[in-house]
Amino acid sequence: MRSSGTKRLLFAGVAIASLLAACGDDSESSDGTSGGSETTAAASGDTSGSGGTACETSGDAITLAVNPWTGSAVNAYVAKSVIECNLGTPVEIVDIDENATWVGLDDGSIDAVLEVWPSGHAADYETYVTGKKSVVDIGKLGPSAKIGWYVPKFVVDEHPELATWEGFKDPELAKLFATAESGDLGQFTMGDPSYVTYDEQIIANLELPLKYVVAGSEAALLTSIDKAVADKTPILLQFWKPHWKQLEVELTEVKLPDVTDECLASAAAADGGYACDYPVDELYKAANAGLEAKNAKAFQLLSALQLTTEQQSEIAGFVDRDGMSAADAAQKWIDANADVVKAWIPA
Amino acid sequence: MSAVSVEALPEQESQRVADARRKRRYTAFGAFAVLAVVAVVVSHEVPSWLDLDIQKRAQDAYKWTINNRQTSPIFKYFFEPLKDLLQWMFDVTMNVLEFLRWPGVVALTGAIGWRTGGLRAGVAGAAAMLGVGMIADWDLAMITLAIMLVAVFIALVLGIPLGIWTSRSDRVEQVVRILLDTAQVLPIFVYFSPVQVLFSIQVPPAIVVTVIYALPPAVRLTNHGLRNVPVVMNEVGESFGANSRQQLFKVQLPVARRTILLGLNQVIMMAFGVVVLASLLGTGDLGQSVLTGLQKQNVGDAAAAGLGIVLLAIALDRITTGEHKHSFNRWAAMLPKVPARTARAIAVGIVVVAVALAHLFDWTEFPAWLTVDIAAPIDSAVEWVQDNLGDVTQAISDFLVTNVIDPIYQFLLRLPWFLVVVAIAFIGFMSKGWRLATGVGLCMVLIAAMGTIPGGGGREALWDIAMNTLSQVLVAIAISVAIALPLGIVAGRSDAFERVLRPFLDVAQVLPAFVYLIPVVFLFGIGRSAGVVACVIYAVPPCIRLTSLGMREVPHAPREAATSFGATGPQEMRMVQLPLARKSILLGINQTLMMVLATVIIAALIGAGGLGLVAYEATAKPNIKLGQGVAGGLSIVLLAIMLDRITQAWGTSKQGGNQ
Repeated sequence: MRSSGTKRLLFAGVAIASLLAACGDDSESSDGTSGGSETTAAASGDTSGSGGTACETSGDAITLAVNPWTGSAVNAYVAKSVIECNLGTPVEIVDIDENATWVGLDDGSIDAVLEVWPSGHAADYETYVTGKKSVVDIGKLGPSAKIGWYVPKFVVDEHPELATWEGFKDPELAKLFATAESGDLGQFTMGDPSYVTYDEQIIANLELPLKYVVAGSEAALLTSIDKAVADKTPILLQFWKPHWKQLEVELTEVKLPDVTDECLASAAAADGGYACDYPVDELYKAANAGLEAKNAKAFQLLSALQLTTEQQSEIAGFVDRDGMSAADAAQKWIDANADVVKAWIPA
Repeated sequence: MSAVSVEALPEQESQRVADARRKRRYTAFGAFAVLAVVAVVVSHEVPSWLDLDIQKRAQDAYKWTINNRQTSPIFKYFFEPLKDLLQWMFDVTMNVLEFLRWPGVVALTGAIGWRTGGLRAGVAGAAAMLGVGMIADWDLAMITLAIMLVAVFIALVLGIPLGIWTSRSDRVEQVVRILLDTAQVLPIFVYFSPVQVLFSIQVPPAIVVTVIYALPPAVRLTNHGLRNVPVVMNEVGESFGANSRQQLFKVQLPVARRTILLGLNQVIMMAFGVVVLASLLGTGDLGQSVLTGLQKQNVGDAAAAGLGIVLLAIALDRITTGEHKHSFNRWAAMLPKVPARTARAIAVGIVVVAVALAHLFDWTEFPAWLTVDIAAPIDSAVEWVQDNLGDVTQAISDFLVTNVIDPIYQFLLRLPWFLVVVAIAFIGFMSKGWRLATGVGLCMVLIAAMGTIPGGGGREALWDIAMNTLSQVLVAIAISVAIALPLGIVAGRSDAFERVLRPFLDVAQVLPAFVYLIPVVFLFGIGRSAGVVACVIYAVPPCIRLTSLGMREVPHAPREAATSFGATGPQEMRMVQLPLARKSILLGINQTLMMVLATVIIAALIGAGGLGLVAYEATAKPNIKLGQGVAGGLSIVLLAIMLDRITQAWGTSKQGGNQ
């Protein structure tokens, strides 16, 4: 589809020249640009694949939110294809920030989101699901996720004692992670502040010689990992699974004290006493409370939709590893797993 | 300007005035000394009784809005209809763009540029628009364009009248200035969640956010332009018996046109500066592509989409501002005069033909053979830079944190809080007088009154966090001015240099910071240095622009007079042009400061922490931390107003010019 670089530049030159000509004299402009019409028509033919499914749809569209990670996108595109092809209802996908998603779910401008990480949205759940009741929990998605402390594998290879939190009690070892920002202490790096974090409490309560530094965004966090790996400098960070970066860089999870009831109670009370590992996140789905009335079948289908961890990572792999679009990846998986999909479709 | 107004007082009189002033000054010094002693003795930390409970109030207001947004009459009769109106404006614009199709949009851009700014502007505008399609996704770009057009339109409709109003009353100006400062500096993340609950998601809140951010330059520069209309011009108008309305439309606005157009230019630039953030609301436009690229760490993809945004901005900029050279005929040319009529017909003809062809041959998609892949070369360039400069930049970064930023921070932090207030008030007093001293002192006290937030092992006072940010801001401002002033002066004296510089300025100002976050982090590591670098990149362009503009606005007569008295080029610049351009240059420095404070929030995304991070919490965890974010954001605004008023005073005070 794409011609060579020089050719493209040449075409660009021709186009600009024809435009220049158009400024002076319009009879020439029709000649200059009409040459491209055949190519244009040909090019426009194959773009529809990226947007919609091939199925005929009608009626009010269902809007699904996609948050900025692969898992979220593949769930939504799987649902889109299944709904459009089996219920005939059009599905719109909205790429949107996680927090804005809840406002959309509240007023119905978003009908459903298929992957919520409970740890990051306890307050949203309380506000909209249990409080205002404008959003309903429509069940677990299936896969679970886990937040934790990570170091690059080469760090543990050199210092095996850093595989558990106790290793970090040694100020000399902790100092391996020191930066200009952390001074004499080791630096603990946290990413996006919108994600849940107990790290500051864990550091304080376990009395570790670490300084909590917020990178501020996931992109900055990921780049810090790359930089650390490139320079072979140790880095200690909050990270999680599943994440596409885990496929690219070997990270080792640092063992933190086991999750206990006191620990969870401390989290619930927000008393600052948290001193254990992160609990497992069981991902769930949420919908606008009006969806059932708006389209009962779609509501039932979305409630029934479930993927296993393996299934989700298989589809995500098509995207992250093979470079497919989320829509194409979803379709590929659906075509190969008709029986799984069939179980979701309401009678 | 002030050099002319030497008052002819009798010598005795002036002696007495000077004595009185000295006496007052000594009293003031005494008062500040007492206050300073009090500050040191009384309390080192901010006392808890000072807390104004702003955090809780904001949080409660947000909660109320969430619970009543479907039922309250304010929503039914105000926000809902307004939201629908914004959506309608967007839809109409989008329909027009879709009807025009890509050939029509390119042709229309060219035609408008040609008729308003000359052939050159037309070609530049059309080429930029074509470039958008070549390097970025055309359909997504049109969504961005439609949002921008609506937002810029609204910003002008609100901004220019507001600017005219503020130019006529000093009192109005003072109030409006505080609002504009707030709009310009209050991090978008602070009102991001509130805007969502007021205007829902996707396009309408995106327009609102853009308007809030883009409005200030429209008001400011209209005001600045009108106030700088030479007195002579006004007098000429009056002597011909013009009433105030005629005076405004026939004399002042035409004379101030250049500055107002610069305002339009800045409105466009600012508006495009928030595209990426606005796309977090689900607009699904080019900004979204930047975010997606960022998420996957594809700097090239993010940069391609980012440059698409830049080209869109340039296209709009070129056809609205045109080349300065032709500026005199620009508006005249838009009026239907006889010779212009044929030209206009040709322009319309071009557009009609382009649209007709597009429909005839069914050119809906931007042709694939015209697209250029710039992502790959950018990726390799970035990789090269990271591989080869990484060690040097990391060393600079460490030095900056360890030896510059952190010592300043530790110093500010160790000072008793009220001593900082007194010191800043004292600077205010020395810069202008009691009023300023009270004002800036109050700003600082209000920061102290923002309360505490959870952090570390307990609670941290926002005051301490503000000192962190202040230290970073001071360093960023110093670096920015050191870079921008010389460049602005050269650009003001050399057309060629300005022409070379201009695209870089446009890119630096409009290229979403998100595009270069990854390379900056890679080069400088996360932390305060990286934050300072981001601030500098963003703050330098307006300072250069306004310095250059100031140099250019200096009338020819005094410069020629100096030259005819035998002044050399540098002498003339130092003695005549620079002093006469001082006001604009100081406005430039002032804008630098505002820009640095406006970027504090972006800096927080790469580890700078401080108030920016606190403010970001309002978006990150709105249900529990909105109040905290509001307090952080307001603290940034208060810091900005404090620094702004002090630097402004240096620009206007008469003592400032003592030699």
